[in-house]
Order: sequence, then structure tokens, then C-alpha cells
Amino acid sequence: MIEINEVTKRFQDKKKYVTALKHVSFTVEEGEVVGLLGENGAGKTTLLRAIATLLHPTDGTIKVAGYDTVKQPNDIKKKIGVLFGGETGLYDRLTARENLEYFASLYNLSKHETKVRIDELTKMFGMRDYLDRKVDGFSKGMRQKLAISRTLIHEPDIILFDEPTTGLDITAANVFRQLVHQLKQQGKTIIFSSHIMEEVQMLCDSVAMIHKGELIYHGNIEKLYEEENNEDLNYIFMSKLVRGGSDYVS
Amino acid sequence: MFLKMFFKEMKDSFRDRRTLLLTVVLPLIMMTALVFYYESLLSDDEQTYNLAVEKGTSEEILSIFSTENFNFVETDDPEFAIEEGEAHTGILFDDQFTEKVETHQQATVKVISGDSFSQNASNANAQVMAALQQYEQAIVNERLTNENIDQQLMTPFQIEQEEITDDNAGMALLGTLIPLILVLAIGIGASPSASDLFAGEKEKKTMEALLMTPVKRSTMIMSKWLTISAIGSITGIVTLIVVALEIQFMTENLKDAVASTENIGLIIGIVAGITIIYATFLASILMVTSIMAKTIKESQSYSTPVMMLGMFPIMILTSVGTSELEFHHFVIPILNIFSSLKELLVGVIDWEHIFITVGSNLIAMIIIFIIGRIMFLKDKWVMN
Repeated sequence: MIEINEVTKRFQDKKKYVTALKHVSFTVEEGEVVGLLGENGAGKTTLLRAIATLLHPTDGTIKVAGYDTVKQPNDIKKKIGVLFGGETGLYDRLTARENLEYFASLYNLSKHETKVRIDELTKMFGMRDYLDRKVDGFSKGMRQKLAISRTLIHEPDIILFDEPTTGLDITAANVFRQLVHQLKQQGKTIIFSSHIMEEVQMLCDSVAMIHKGELIYHGNIEKLYEEENNEDLNYIFMSKLVRGGSDYVS
Repeated sequence: MFLKMFFKEMKDSFRDRRTLLLTVVLPLIMMTALVFYYESLLSDDEQTYNLAVEKGTSEEILSIFSTENFNFVETDDPEFAIEEGEAHTGILFDDQFTEKVETHQQATVKVISGDSFSQNASNANAQVMAALQQYEQAIVNERLTNENIDQQLMTPFQIEQEEITDDNAGMALLGTLIPLILVLAIGIGASPSASDLFAGEKEKKTMEALLMTPVKRSTMIMSKWLTISAIGSITGIVTLIVVALEIQFMTENLKDAVASTENIGLIIGIVAGITIIYATFLASILMVTSIMAKTIKESQSYSTPVMMLGMFPIMILTSVGTSELEFHHFVIPILNIFSSLKELLVGVIDWEHIFITVGSNLIAMIIIFIIGRIMFLKDKWVMN
């Protein structure tokens, strides 16, 4: 479903080059939920942006549903839904319904499809009471629910979440976890980055650990427990960083 | 898709109180103030000035100024009265002024000028000088008559003055300042939307959400540019409508001035067209400044100097008459808006100048739009 092949991404910062990703390769199968783990600045967001076609790899290729992210971005965009963490990316002066209708129209959904989809998402997230209110006065939890709804408005097969529960209260974070569970049951392919190990343990089939732009582990989470002879993902992650010589840990 | 995006951007922009305030309320206030100021300049109501004279100055001497609009301020010290702001100007006559004049001796009159920065003081001074010259001429004529000398001996030739330009002071005044207000109003009206639609979307991360949709970036930039242009145009047209309505229903002198201008309907139509062209040109510049910025605040820092550019042409053109306007006045964007409107508002419709103005603005707009599009296609400029 997602094939990441020897991907390197370099940014030019003034006269210096910064390498955000170094020869990263792994594959995500259809219906798999992958947790992307790494310290701040490890390259998680860069990788998600590259998969989402927002950034072009300097070297290597990424294929999503058989399409190349550089050559066929529009084919991928129809199949993918992305929510970047911390920011909800909503229009504050529009109502929740208007936000959803607008993004549905950008994905060329018909009026009928849009109505059905909005009804489904409203029910799923319990947004009925504030669907026709302007986003301006929404709480962080309400915004996050709406942002997730916007991400799912066109029923994407592949969903990328970048630290989706950052800043959410316990209830809103639980709603998100339930949603991932539901999406997983529907056979969606999901990659999400997170700092919360319990969340990854609870939801993911496999993990990809990135450290200073390099992939230091990718594989099934159960296999990882067996290999490390430990079921504490937090401990495993930290010990892998120590072995990788993390500045943070030292 | 393009229209869907455009209508959403318009709806979003007009829900912003700043946009509403700056597109409708501000032009209303600015133009109302301007119209009433000009109306007062053209008004026939004559201003009365305070003239300081020494206590005890005879009625006969003061009758010199009877044809002018003076209030006499009798005081021991006229200079002090002027310094204290009690009088605009002052005058001191010889102790025996009347006797000296009657006995053909040379009398003296001292005129004390008021604040040189005050328009009222300078007008009062001019009126005092005019009254004294008139009085002097009357004395000379009387003496010549008494000596049986023809008065024409003292006036070897007569001066006749003729102005070849139309004497429509009201339209000339409007032609100087309407372009300034119009240019500023369009800039002030379009600027918040421009900042919001690019830098604002980057700041709020809605840009990333937009970029994740299958909509082409060229469609996005076109719809956003059209939104900025439309808001700028609406501000400009609202400004013109406000002026037209206020002149029609709330003024007399300006209304007469407009009524006496030939082809006024055509002129208003051309002015509206130039307003829209200018709004599209400015929208391109504001779009580029907003694409360059990462935040709304940064975008506003970039757009402020652009709007300040609108102040310069008035300095260049204030002392230039409509007949002195040359090719370069109509080629340089922004300056040509002032030049064309100046010409149009005194009733001159020069199609060549209008086409040069429109063409130059369109070319500049297209070049700047292309630069903006190139920037918008690069990730560096669309994602923070």
C-alpha cells in the first residue's frame, strides 16, 4: 500500500544543508496501523509530509497505492487523508458544517454524498449540537473532532495522523483512539506519529522508529516484544535510542 | 472548482469584521470628511477676519475697510493682540493720518502681519493690502481731477487676464484628492484579505489542508487573487458611490461643479473601470507580499510600505497642471492612476492616456501575478 524506498530529504537552511531523512525504507501493508516513533526533530513529520506529497524526497521514491508521490500526487491526494498535529487547519469564521461542505466540494463530492458523509461523521463524533456554530468559539476537543472529520470527509483509504492527541484532554484523546480502532476495523491503512507509547501499544500493528533521520527499527509490534524480551514499548524505545547514541538520552 | 473556492473565500472574508469595516465604513468616513471639506472651500460664505487697530482710530479711517469683512479689535497694543490670537492682522496709522493726506504730506501706515503659517492671517493681510491700495488709488484719482489731469495718464495700459482652462475649481479640487483617497481606500480594504488568504492560511495551517486536496495550486492562487481583487474593487466602487451620493444630496457647490462637467456619466464609468484595474494590480502586489510572509503580522509589515507608495504621486502631481501631463505620467503604475483621474475629473477624456494607463497596469499586474504564481508553486513559500 505504501512503499518507502531509500528516501532521503535534505533542506537548505541559509547556506547549510540539513538532512532530515537518510535512506529510509519500509513498507506498510493495506489495513495496517503503523506507529511512527521518534524524538522531536527526528524526521517523523518530514516523512509524513513526503508520504502526503507535500514534500518531494531529495532521493528515493515513495509509492502510495501504486502511485508515485512526485509524479502522480493528485491520484494520491484522492485516496489519502492527513491531519497534522497541534494545528487543526479549520476556517474559524465558517461553521463546522460549512468547513466540511467546503472540503467535500474540493474533493468533488456531490451534494448528496456530502450530506450523507456529514451525517455519518456528525453521528460518529457527536457533533450535532455544534454543527451549525462558527468554529471560532470551539474548544480544542471540538476542533480536533471537526479536523478529523474534515480529514475523513472523502472516505480516504489511507490516513496519516501527525501527533493527533497532542494538547487534547483525556476524553477527546479517547474519542480519537476509539476512532482509530473503528477505522482499523474498516480496513483503513493508518500511519500516526505519537509520543504516547501506551497509545501506540494499544492501537498499532507495527512500529517504525526514526532517530536523527534514520530508520532504526520497523516491524511487527508483537515481534518487537519477543525480540526485546520486554513488553514495555517505552523501555524498548529508550534502549534503542541508547544503542543508537541519542544525544537526548546521554 | 475555481468558483467554489472564490465564493468560499468571499464568504470567509466578509465574515471578518475588519474587512467589513475597512471596505465600507472607512471609505464612508474618509469620503464624507473630504466632501464636506471641499464643499466648505468652494462655499461663497465669506470669512470674517479680526483686524487689530489702535484705540481712538477715527471712524473715517476705519471706513477704508468697509468693503471688506473685518471685525475691528480696538486695543492699546495691536501687536500684542495678534500675538495673543485676538486678531488675524493689525494696522497702525500716523497720528495725523487724515490731515497729512489732505495737505498732500506723506503719511505712513504700518501693517502688522499675523502668523505666517495661518491661511486666515494671510487672507486678512491680503484684504488689508487690497483695501489700502484701493484707498490710495482713490486719493490719487481725486488729486488728478483737482489738477485737471486725465486719470488715464496714470494708467498707460490696461491688463486683461483670461484663463484658457475651464474654470471648474470644484472638479479640479476633487481631481487632486479623490485619487489619493481612492488609492488608499483600495489598499486598506484589500490588505486584510490578502494577508489572511496566504500568510494567514499558512499560520493557521489551513494551507496544508488545502494543499492535501486534489485542487491544482494554480486554481487556488487564481481564486485567492480574484478574492483580493474583488474586495479591493468593492472598496473602490463603494468609495465612489459614497462620493457621488454625498455630492448629489448633501452639497450645492460640488453638485453644481459636477453638473456643469460634460460627459459626467462617461467619466464616472471610466473612473470605475480604472478603479477596478488598479484593484487587480494592487491585489497582485499584496498577494506576493502575503506569500512571502509566514504570519499575518509579517505580511502586514510587508504590505504597509506598498500602500505608502500611494502617497508619493500626489506630491509629484500637485504642482503639475493637466496640460503638462506627459507620457511617463501615464506609464508608471500608481502614478498613472493619479494622472488619469486628475485629467478625467476636470472633464478631459483622452483615450490614448486611458489606454496607456490601463495597459501599463495590466502588464504590471500580469508580471507580478506570474512572480506570485512561481512562488506559490514552490514548497518553501507555501509551507512554514
